[in-house]
Amino acid sequence: MTKYASKKLYDEVIDNGLCTLCGGCTGLCPYLFLHDGRVVRVHQCDLDEGQCYQYCPRTHTDMDAISRAIFGAPYGEDEIGIAREVFLARSTDQEIHLKAQDGGIVTTLLSVALTEGMIDGAVETKLDGEKIPHGVIARNRKELLECAGVSYEPSPILEAFNRLPRQSTEKLGFVGLPCHVTCLSKMRLLPPINRAPIENGKLVIGLFCGWTLSHGFHQFLTERFDLTKAIKFDIPHHPAHSFDLYTKSETQSVDLDELRPFINTACRYCIDMTAEFADISVGSGRALFKGWNTVIVRTKAGAELVEIAKKDRAMEIQPIPDESLTNLKRASLNKKRNAVHRIIDRTGSRKDLGYLGISGSLAGKLLS
Amino acid sequence: MAHIEIDAPGTTQLLLGNEAIARGALEAGIGFATAYPGTPSSEIMGTLAPIARKMGFYAEWSINEMVAFEAASAASLSNIRALSSMKANGVNVITDFLVNLQMTGVGKGLVLVVCDDPGGMTSSNEQDTRPIAKWLNIPLLEPSTAQECKDMTAWAFELSEELGMVSMVRSVTYLSHTRGTVRFGKLPANTKTARFAEFYDIDNPRQSRYTCGMQFHPYKQSEVLLNRFSKAPEYCEGSPFNAYSGPEAPELLIISSGICWTYATEAVSILQVHDRVGILKLGTTWPLPEGLISRHLERSDKVLFIEEIAPFVERSVMELAASLPGDHARPTFYGKRSGHVRAWGEQNLNLVIQSLAKVMGTSYRSRQTLSPAYQSTVNEVEKILPTRPLTFCPGCPHRASFWAIKHALQLDGRNGFVTGDIGCTAMGMISPGSFQVRTYYAMGGGVGIANGFGHLERFSFNQPVIAVCGDSTFFHASIPGLINGVWNRSNFTLAILDNSATAMTGFQPHPGTGVTATGDPGKKVSIEALCQSLGVPVAVCDPFDLTGTIATLLRMLRDEEPTKVVILRRECELVRARRDKEKPYKMYVDPARCIGEECGCNRLCTRVFSCPGLVWDKEAGKAMIDEAVCSGCGLCAGVCPQGAIMRDAA
Repeated sequence: MTKYASKKLYDEVIDNGLCTLCGGCTGLCPYLFLHDGRVVRVHQCDLDEGQCYQYCPRTHTDMDAISRAIFGAPYGEDEIGIAREVFLARSTDQEIHLKAQDGGIVTTLLSVALTEGMIDGAVETKLDGEKIPHGVIARNRKELLECAGVSYEPSPILEAFNRLPRQSTEKLGFVGLPCHVTCLSKMRLLPPINRAPIENGKLVIGLFCGWTLSHGFHQFLTERFDLTKAIKFDIPHHPAHSFDLYTKSETQSVDLDELRPFINTACRYCIDMTAEFADISVGSGRALFKGWNTVIVRTKAGAELVEIAKKDRAMEIQPIPDESLTNLKRASLNKKRNAVHRIIDRTGSRKDLGYLGISGSLAGKLLS
Repeated sequence: MAHIEIDAPGTTQLLLGNEAIARGALEAGIGFATAYPGTPSSEIMGTLAPIARKMGFYAEWSINEMVAFEAASAASLSNIRALSSMKANGVNVITDFLVNLQMTGVGKGLVLVVCDDPGGMTSSNEQDTRPIAKWLNIPLLEPSTAQECKDMTAWAFELSEELGMVSMVRSVTYLSHTRGTVRFGKLPANTKTARFAEFYDIDNPRQSRYTCGMQFHPYKQSEVLLNRFSKAPEYCEGSPFNAYSGPEAPELLIISSGICWTYATEAVSILQVHDRVGILKLGTTWPLPEGLISRHLERSDKVLFIEEIAPFVERSVMELAASLPGDHARPTFYGKRSGHVRAWGEQNLNLVIQSLAKVMGTSYRSRQTLSPAYQSTVNEVEKILPTRPLTFCPGCPHRASFWAIKHALQLDGRNGFVTGDIGCTAMGMISPGSFQVRTYYAMGGGVGIANGFGHLERFSFNQPVIAVCGDSTFFHASIPGLINGVWNRSNFTLAILDNSATAMTGFQPHPGTGVTATGDPGKKVSIEALCQSLGVPVAVCDPFDLTGTIATLLRMLRDEEPTKVVILRRECELVRARRDKEKPYKMYVDPARCIGEECGCNRLCTRVFSCPGLVWDKEAGKAMIDEAVCSGCGLCAGVCPQGAIMRDAA
């Protein structure tokens, strides 16, 4: 019996604890709704093939095909993906620094891209009054600044793209986690129908990600803190071991171990720490370089934007020390190894990597 | 339109059974009539109310059957003839009062008209109300024709007065809703004076205590009641509504009552067995005319019972046969017990012919058995006939309400469900209501049963419960359930789908409409003010604001207060359309925007939302508006995910 696409999405991904809550399946679809940290099927859709299943980052994903489409090369063994350049950077814009998480590079790069006319808007995450993240499109500096900062809850940014009218001609930049970037990459491989043209996406900035916090995390936050006063969240790097909430006057902390139960189970099966299919990936400078970002430039479009930003003196740059790069690569490789082991624990076979379409030889190396 | 109020004795009119019942009440000089709407009984009050003022009697649509019957009893106890009409379920509602009214008896004639619904075509069940007459010793009359509807109703008042107790007239759907010729009798002069408990003796108040004869010791009153009822058989024995036709000693005796008697008569004629079969028609089915029946039982070896719904006469006659003297001949009985008559559903001529043929051992080719050629044509036609499933009307606010309820319960994600109630809202059980209604029992039963679900938390039950009722149902029987929930802190949300009409039965007014049965201004009762007085969260939404309604329902489902009320208010579309000739919006589909079956819609409007005003143009692969059906309500414009359904101000 043929299964309906939305039913398969449920059976294989959502009910299987693999949903990353990226928003790729919602926003456009009148059957699926993202509500309160869950993708909800409100009515039955009886299509055998649906974009919900097609673009989900946790349904079969041919990593080689995506890599070839973006980089002209198969998905390889590089721990942090294909990189043209890796360096440390921070914004020179004080207004951005006030709002931003680490070095403010994401907001800075988007600001430059907007000013240069490379993009007309950025698909971004914005927290509402209750500090719940939503996907929005920031179309000017003011809106960009409203999106600065980090939420550790999954943000359905792709909903914002899916909601755009089909006729949209807006050139878009995306800022997303590795799961968002994977979903976008699948869309670019086989363009969606009845949505704004995916070719309008001119820039993808990926964010480094270890995991997100869901499964009641927001409820935990509301019970623990007065979220209306929160202006920023942070999980500082080792050796710190806390989740910090900043208000205007103080910092409140929770032991990181208290948050472990809220880690989205889907993240345990993710091999991508550095958003390997983005044009530019950005993470923190870690403990050694607090207030800086680690930047990985991957594509030609990414490199062009970085060049303009450098020329405009929008950011300050320094080389990344070998030790830091080695640590980054080790962390990234660990994520890959752990994920692949967990996947085969689930499937029960070293030959069955579930959604993860990577070559047998790469799988073998990750498992060794 | 029938003119049942004309004073023209001897003239005939073509009347519905229910209209004939109303005429019978007029000829009996009725002073007071009450009812609660319920198919197939509603036309009785529907006929009486418009002429009440002109004819000088009081008519009322009551809040429920209990109050209707209690109010009618007051008139009777005050020397005014009164009639109360209802459907079968209504008798369940009045039973407690009825049992106790039997203890006191009545004053002037009080007639309870009950319309049963064999097959339950417009009811939640197909209960037979006749056993209550036997249970409570109430004289029971069953008319067979429109003429008898009138005549027996009029006689029921006399019988009530002769016996000093309420009498009951039982009709069924087919009789109530079929027209027949009725010859009119005289209308009485209108002179009535109401008096009750006029004399209070201040020196001897004990003497005035039991105005209606109620005794302090019920057993004493039982004796009075039995004595009173003991006179009933003689009235029934001599009644012209009981009649026999057929040979002196028939091979088979059919005992029949009500509309079934007409089927039996025709069946005998069609099978041409006049010389072998006799028919004993019973108009008084409780108490039975025992002498008449006994005499006929002696003359036949076989007896066949034809009646709707329960084997009521059948069992009563068998009891009678058992009590006959030992040398009395005992025939073989055929009927629902023996399996010769279908024991469920409505009877019809064809079924009765089959039953008769079976007992007679004759062969009969059913009129429903078609020639093979004709049958194959029928089969072909059936294939192309569109199915016509039950649905909400185009523009019905309930479609929007259930759409919002489904969204809210799914988004809430705790496997919530709806406990349903009687009326149009019951269609929440089937596809137009997205199968949200999971229980459906009785008027007020939705909130009543929700009271129980709302206390199962201690047994790790965590599903949210939405009790749904209509506005008329709210007034009828849901208020005690709501108050009980508030008092005992039961966890449920009552959604009152207020379409400001008793729509299912034909738009009768109710306390929320502020108009009475006779079209006079009544005091309008505010549902929200009443609910707010209970001190629980109350919200009022327009269900056509789907987003707002879903958000409100979600908020209520998570509210810390256990019992909540959401009033989903929008006027019944049929009421609006009767008043405003113009449709609110001109609706059309922009084919350029409609993506039909493609991903991103997959025919949400015609496949899931399913308003009859939306049709699927298969060839074009686009949705269309059926302008003849579309009410122009505009709701679907907000449902279309592609913004392809356009609404222009009309």
